[in-house]
Amino acid sequence: MSEAVAPTPSEQAPSLPLTRREFLYYLWGISLAVFLAGSGGATVWFSLPRFREGEFGGVFTIPVDQIPPADTPPKEFPEGRFWLVNVGQQTLTDPRQPPQYPESPGVKALYKVCVHLGCIYRWVDTNDRFECPCHGSKYLKSGSRIDGPARRNLDVFIVEAIDAAGDVLSRTEPAMNTLEGTAVEPPPGTVSLRIDTGRRIQGAFNSKPGGGM
Amino acid sequence: MKWQIALGTLSVVATVIVLAIVAAGEPRRMAGFTTSYQARQVETGALIFENSCRPCHGAQGEGIEGVAPALNAADLFNGNRLRAIGFAGTVQDYVRATISSGRPVPSSGTNYPQRMPTWSQRFGGPLRDDQIDSLVAYVMNWEERALQGGAEVTQAPPGEVVGTDITVPLPAGNADQGKALTEGNLGCVGCHILGATGPAWLPSGDTPGMGDRAATRFGQADYTGHAATPEQYLLESIVLTNAYVVEGFGPDLMPANYGQRLTPQDAADLVAYLLSLR
Amino acid sequence: MALFRVHIPILDEVKSKGLKPALRDKADDLITRVTAGLDIADVRGVLRDDPPGRPNPRLKPHAEGFWLHMKPTYYHNLVDGLYPTFRLGWLSVYAFAFEIITGVFLMIYYTPSPLIAYENMLDILSNVPFGRLMRDMHKLGAEVMVIVVALHMLRTFITGSYKFPRQFTWATGVILLGVTLFLSFSGYLLPWDQLSLWAVTIGASMAEAAPPEIVGRNLNLIVRGAPEFGAGGLLRFYLLHIIALPLAGILALGVHYYKVIIHGHSLPPGVENVGEDTARKVPMDTRTYFMPTILTRELWYVSGLTFLLVAYSAFIFHAPLEPHADPLVTPLHITSPWYFLWLQGMLKLGDKVLWGVILPTAIIGLLVSLPYVEVGPSRRYGDRRIGLSAGIVSVIAFAVLSYMGTPYYAVPTSPDQEAVASLLPQTQPGPLRLAPWGQLVLGSYEAADWQQAPTPAMRELLHTFDEELTRVETADGQDVEGIMVVEDWQTDLKKVTIRVVWTDAATNQPHEFSQTAFLHRNSDYGQGE
Repeated sequence: MSEAVAPTPSEQAPSLPLTRREFLYYLWGISLAVFLAGSGGATVWFSLPRFREGEFGGVFTIPVDQIPPADTPPKEFPEGRFWLVNVGQQTLTDPRQPPQYPESPGVKALYKVCVHLGCIYRWVDTNDRFECPCHGSKYLKSGSRIDGPARRNLDVFIVEAIDAAGDVLSRTEPAMNTLEGTAVEPPPGTVSLRIDTGRRIQGAFNSKPGGGM
Repeated sequence: MKWQIALGTLSVVATVIVLAIVAAGEPRRMAGFTTSYQARQVETGALIFENSCRPCHGAQGEGIEGVAPALNAADLFNGNRLRAIGFAGTVQDYVRATISSGRPVPSSGTNYPQRMPTWSQRFGGPLRDDQIDSLVAYVMNWEERALQGGAEVTQAPPGEVVGTDITVPLPAGNADQGKALTEGNLGCVGCHILGATGPAWLPSGDTPGMGDRAATRFGQADYTGHAATPEQYLLESIVLTNAYVVEGFGPDLMPANYGQRLTPQDAADLVAYLLSLR
Repeated sequence: MALFRVHIPILDEVKSKGLKPALRDKADDLITRVTAGLDIADVRGVLRDDPPGRPNPRLKPHAEGFWLHMKPTYYHNLVDGLYPTFRLGWLSVYAFAFEIITGVFLMIYYTPSPLIAYENMLDILSNVPFGRLMRDMHKLGAEVMVIVVALHMLRTFITGSYKFPRQFTWATGVILLGVTLFLSFSGYLLPWDQLSLWAVTIGASMAEAAPPEIVGRNLNLIVRGAPEFGAGGLLRFYLLHIIALPLAGILALGVHYYKVIIHGHSLPPGVENVGEDTARKVPMDTRTYFMPTILTRELWYVSGLTFLLVAYSAFIFHAPLEPHADPLVTPLHITSPWYFLWLQGMLKLGDKVLWGVILPTAIIGLLVSLPYVEVGPSRRYGDRRIGLSAGIVSVIAFAVLSYMGTPYYAVPTSPDQEAVASLLPQTQPGPLRLAPWGQLVLGSYEAADWQQAPTPAMRELLHTFDEELTRVETADGQDVEGIMVVEDWQTDLKKVTIRVVWTDAATNQPHEFSQTAFLHRNSDYGQGE
């Protein structure tokens, strides 16, 4: 650095003309800067991990006709490690539903691992709920925990509704007060849902017997 | 400056002495660490067993007839079980293989209709390799006691068993005795949640409990069994498990051998207890 | 006779000078080459501390050799002693070298894969002679390096040595501080135990907070190699730890060293006129030459520190190894490494973006630009009351923030869990696991009746438990009961259940919390690791 160099007297700086040689050096420098900026971008792209479509950690595209109808039992997608649930009015008004988690109707992609100790819970149709075989945590179709040692609701993946042009019409957002992922109601024109298994939103805190904060 | 030279020399000599002391202790230390790590694996394995295996294999690995076989048993460790199924490897290999990949088909000649699930992450289960290793270490630690006789396993009771005729008159039942039975080696609580009122997931539920359901179910239109009273219905559910399967459940989930495992008194106690769940 | 005569110069010399003088000349030549300029007589002169000849032959290695060209040929008498440098810069470099050497040994037995990394650690500890010592020294050396580098910076600030003309030296020093911290931090993950995974997860969660969201998310992906730490993240941290950061450190160190040579060591504040820097104009009579005085001193410091590091890690300090990393179970009371606790403390104060990203960036920016923006030219303590006070306040603030970063400050955990964790903590062995196995007598015990327990160890455990239960009472619990059950479980294995039962005063609801531990006769948690 120049801190040890004596300050240059101002009269020593007459405006020198820019020679072709000097100009070419500047040009070279600029091209180097462009190259470095490009390599920087390439490095970022290089080091960003990528996930293949249809592989866990990556994006899954589900055509609309494969979405379970509202209030029907959830559908499992084992290769994506999630359950697709379609929350309808009946599910929302279920008396078991803890009131702290105001659910909107729509589709959710629930990560299929229990938030207690990582067991794989299962859907029990008779009881209309998910049950974890290991320690008995119970979750409603909406993903809200209603019983058991788990201390939060089920985690969800981000769901995006895509139209024929490939535009995102609607996507999972953090809920207003609980910050858990909201359900996505596919707007008209939706041809498929995109589920990003690389982006998981944790369920809200929920520890009371019967469910609730 | 001389004292610096002296101190520097002293430091180097002292370092060499320390290293020599460490070197002398290394064989013992390495052996000690190995022992203590193996012991910690047993501890870890015990916790995993408690969390994941106990519901089916019993708290002490004594097994639950009709649900899952005993692990704390002499025949596992003396090689009889391996010979019976023609497994060529060691007991440890057998335990690890079974835990990791589960049982796609039941062992031949046994009355275990449930399949052991896969536990290793390599086969779609939840456990990592190191957890499987710990679990194996824990199971193998039963060897000594198992060969000496193992945990108490309830055999079929001596004398009369209740059989599968649901119309036989039962003696008077004791609900408390029945409750104790459900928590014992019969294995009921491995699968059933026994709450006083239904549904079992609410602390103050208002839907009928098991006793109430028994009272009405045999009168339902889709009922396929032969019970005429709530007592008969419950007995039928225990000993003739496929006579009527409640909607939503598959057949053969419940072991079919309770008729051979319960005395009439046990059956009466159980029925009395279940009827009290209302 | 022979067609070719083989020409061997040494034989010619032996012929002309005789055997002994010829060999002596050869040895002299060899020594001169090795020392880059000192022959045997010169070396002996150094060792005997004779006055050097003129011209001073001891300056030659500084001019001609690679290693010594990085060291000044002489210091001012005033900077030769402990004050003002405390030799902290030299010790930092030594700690770095110490880490490289111990690290290379550890690399021999380590594979950066979640499938096998932990097993490698067990192997190093159980089946490699000096394996544990090597690991302990590497870990201890890392902590010492962080401390020494931080003290070096503090010293440079206090003596005002960062001021003109050494601003850029200071700036490279800030880079070196960052390299040191991140070297230590990246090494944390490698054992792949619970402590490493979660301490680093907490630390790395800052990357995710970087605004805007798309930058944070992608930064997080680049750092961790996946949404969560796994094979990718471990490999990335390993490469950072063994290649990228050491390389950056060596480069920055080169620049830092060169600047020290160029500017000389700053004299103690107060001996020069304000604004003057005479470090390079040392009069002949106040010079202390590198050889032999400073060289001896530095070697003695290194020998002494080596002894301390080796002895401390051989007998006292043992790096912990916790259970295998488990991405599904976050241990209670987990913290980031101690040198990042201040950051944890700030994060508890509020917004993650402001306190976790913007402020730390601002602190680094302030540190780098400090010598350029601070206008006061005087290095004298008396003239720098404001600057020194600000420095002291910063140090105190860091201490307070670090305390706030520990779990003792504002971590909302329920009192029942805290009470159980006092016996069975999740980040260290704790009293129950450390209790002598033989003294855990089978039976069921109440904490309140601790005096009636059959063995001293159990009395102590139950007493601790009983005292911790007051937490539950103060949190509106009634009829609090603490129970400890010891059962015989397997050969050499006992099951211990710790249970807290209480009634909530507000709702009159009964509550229970329990935790189970299995204890093996040989698990031996008392090894200190």
